[in-house]
Amino acid sequence: MNLRRHLCFFLALAAARHADASDIPALWAERVKSTVAVEFYVETETDRRPALSFGTVIDSNGTIILPSAAVDPRVSPDQLKDFKVHRAGETSSVPGQYLGQDNLTGWHFVRVDPKQLTGLVPITVFAAKDGAPSPAPALAEEVWGIGLRNKDEDFTPYIMMSRIGLIQSLPQRSAIALHEVAAPGLPVFNQEGMFLGLATSSFGQSYMQFSRPDRGATPVVLVNVEESSVFPLAEEVLPYFGRIPKSVSGRPLAWLGAYGLEPIDPEVAQFMKLESQGAVVISEVLEGSPAEKAGLKDHDIIVALDGQPLPRFKPGSVVVGYVDRELAKRLPGDLLAVSVLRGTDRREIKVVLGDEPKLIRETSRKYFDRLGLTVREFVYGDGVALRVKSGESTGVVAHFVKANSPVAIAGLHADDWIKEIDGVEVKTFDLAVQKLAAIEADRDRGEFVILASRGGETAVLRVKLK
Amino acid sequence: MNLSTSRSIFALVLLCAVTPLGAAVSRGFNQLLDAVVRIDVREVTFEEGGKRFSAGIGSGVILSADGLILTNAHVASPRAVEINITLASLEVVGAKLVGWDHWTDLALLRLDMGEVKRRGLQFTHAEFGNSDKVFAGQTVYAVGTPYGLTRTVTRGIISNTSRPFEDLRGINGYETGSFNTWLQTDAAINPGNSGGPLVTEDGKIVGINSRGYNGADNLAFAIPSSTAQDIVSGLVREGGITRSYIGLVPGALRDLAGFYALALNIGVLINSVDPGSPAARAGLRVGDILLSINGRKVDGRFPEQLPPIQNLIASQPVGSVLKLSVKRGNDTRDFNVTTEKLESRVGEEWAFEKWGLSVRKVSRSDARERQLPDNTGVLVIGVQPGFPADVAGISRDDIIMKIKQQPVTSLEDIKAVYAAYEAKPEPTLLEAQRFRRVSLYILKP
Repeated sequence: MNLRRHLCFFLALAAARHADASDIPALWAERVKSTVAVEFYVETETDRRPALSFGTVIDSNGTIILPSAAVDPRVSPDQLKDFKVHRAGETSSVPGQYLGQDNLTGWHFVRVDPKQLTGLVPITVFAAKDGAPSPAPALAEEVWGIGLRNKDEDFTPYIMMSRIGLIQSLPQRSAIALHEVAAPGLPVFNQEGMFLGLATSSFGQSYMQFSRPDRGATPVVLVNVEESSVFPLAEEVLPYFGRIPKSVSGRPLAWLGAYGLEPIDPEVAQFMKLESQGAVVISEVLEGSPAEKAGLKDHDIIVALDGQPLPRFKPGSVVVGYVDRELAKRLPGDLLAVSVLRGTDRREIKVVLGDEPKLIRETSRKYFDRLGLTVREFVYGDGVALRVKSGESTGVVAHFVKANSPVAIAGLHADDWIKEIDGVEVKTFDLAVQKLAAIEADRDRGEFVILASRGGETAVLRVKLK
Repeated sequence: MNLSTSRSIFALVLLCAVTPLGAAVSRGFNQLLDAVVRIDVREVTFEEGGKRFSAGIGSGVILSADGLILTNAHVASPRAVEINITLASLEVVGAKLVGWDHWTDLALLRLDMGEVKRRGLQFTHAEFGNSDKVFAGQTVYAVGTPYGLTRTVTRGIISNTSRPFEDLRGINGYETGSFNTWLQTDAAINPGNSGGPLVTEDGKIVGINSRGYNGADNLAFAIPSSTAQDIVSGLVREGGITRSYIGLVPGALRDLAGFYALALNIGVLINSVDPGSPAARAGLRVGDILLSINGRKVDGRFPEQLPPIQNLIASQPVGSVLKLSVKRGNDTRDFNVTTEKLESRVGEEWAFEKWGLSVRKVSRSDARERQLPDNTGVLVIGVQPGFPADVAGISRDDIIMKIKQQPVTSLEDIKAVYAAYEAKPEPTLLEAQRFRRVSLYILKP
């Protein structure tokens, strides 16, 4: 037996193990190995809520991506605990590590030790055949994908199948199938078993697809949160598998500081001779932001970024998502040329992107169990929401208010802005924590007073402790 | 039992029913009955993107031989285009609005005396009693036109003599009740009773019936006659009431007096200070305790005590300087605050019918409430489906800031553009914002 014969034999065996192109059950059985169920807990002040999401394996290091909806954006990464990863159809699990969220794709990254959880197959294996990438699906093409049942059914994998109804830029090139084709976060394939795309959580896409421009009307929302019929195509997914966050915070994050981007409607675009492209109005240029420093003004209309006109999307509102993504692709310190219309003038403004100010999910927090609240730092975004100039932004925010606790009975709500405690202005988070800690520790205290602001109105709240 | 006996018993029963009023007072009461009128009002509204007319029924009471009628601000407003009065004699005669004050929910009308003379119509007028002397438990009567049932008398008692009842959108969106307390009664008050008098057994007006809780059992409220008398004389003189504003929102101290180390029965908690208001500019802060106004001590421990304190501020001449003595922490200091004219949140309204767009001028206090930098712009209060504004995508609650790239600082700005559009319709560019988000729209013919 020489080496050559050996090799031939091995190749023949491998070929035999590969499923026939039309043998979908066999193709499915192989590709299920790219899917996992991920369990974790969201720890709050008073409870531990179990959460479940499905993910796709993207490399041989055991890296898994979960859809952005897997985690509430208000939740801080340090509240996410005890990640456990199951292979499809298995009750046993191994611990996973949360790596953070990527700002551009929204994906949450989790990693398992591939030695502990063996048999996983990265989805990239199915993304090319003989060196050629998966073709984009055609209209009416039959496609199929994977769903996983719930924990009580051992995350049993199952198959969904449909045909492509429409391919649209939202702003990523996305296919919309006639029926559900995969669970959000799980892959979709063609008849040859080639990877076509990753199903998104149906909410965001259906909001975009079925909402109507008459603002105030309720968008149609698909009720099926476990299965989705929309998937960004492989070409929109594969290039970003390398965006594994360097830290759980997801930083660095680029910041422009243009608030309330609103699309220009087609009639207005025509009036402004912009009918062949997209445009967005900047509602407000934020104080102290890179946009302000570079000279962008409120109500400027952005028509191009780095010389590239904004594309025209259907629906037109998608252009906002496009601009957001263009920013997310860049890094703090990058130079961005923003072309704007100001009145009838067109000008190009060069902005050096900054570092996104601290986000709510990154704030320091402190819980006071006896008083019944968690306070967190007042951040730049709070100032924007409350229209407070950065110089006036003292105080802390009631991040959580425990039901029927002393502060709740006094009338404090979550998200109230606490400006004074016991008549003393709380200029910093540390000062607020110090005052509250002293009150909490003092068992003889009968009451204390909070000055809180909500919706521009303030009230003095008296908190009874006895 | 024959027929005549049963009839006499019936008569007796009827007599008994009448007696509680007492023979001695019935003359005053009868005079009052003859002074109560039904009021039919047709008014213009600017909703849904066009001019519409709506009709309503209320009650009123004639106050003088020269035909002054007192009613509620929510019965007859400056938007009334036609007011008809049904006298006790059931004759109908026209009337005009003399004055209006939504803060106290009072309006004053005058009968068309020319018509009264020409037709030889007769009426009497009623007299005010003293609302400061009524007591809880005292029997009172409400007279009015509930559900259009002319001259309906209902009886009850005074349930409370000083109910605070502020409602910042109570009168078709206008503010009411900040400057007076109300008489509460359990006399049955129904829609249509509004503007009718609440009277004592001798027929003297102690209140003007105004509002009640829907679905509750006889929880109704009347403006005390002491307030009404003040307002009537102001309305006769000037057609409106001018009040001062400094921008303090008081709160009841209740038992916080101990916390703030205050002497008993003094001080008003400053619960909120309107941004940009005279009080804010003078340096007053939330959590300050107001001790006195121009040397006059104020006591606001309970909500019932706050309307008179608000009225004390409001009744100062516009532009006058108030010396407010304030306790902040352990210090007591004085602030001089120059008052401004009090304005309603509700600005002037108009409809641009060819656009199918109705708007309301953004007022200063509206701008404050919405945290806008100034009062530029008009608020969209309605659009008519299928008309240019609707087709362009404009909807209720948008604030139109610019038209043809020029800022809208008054209704006149937009009226001028509309007039040009009417003469020669052409695409018109609007800039509007909603919840701080700016959008552009084209009105196309």
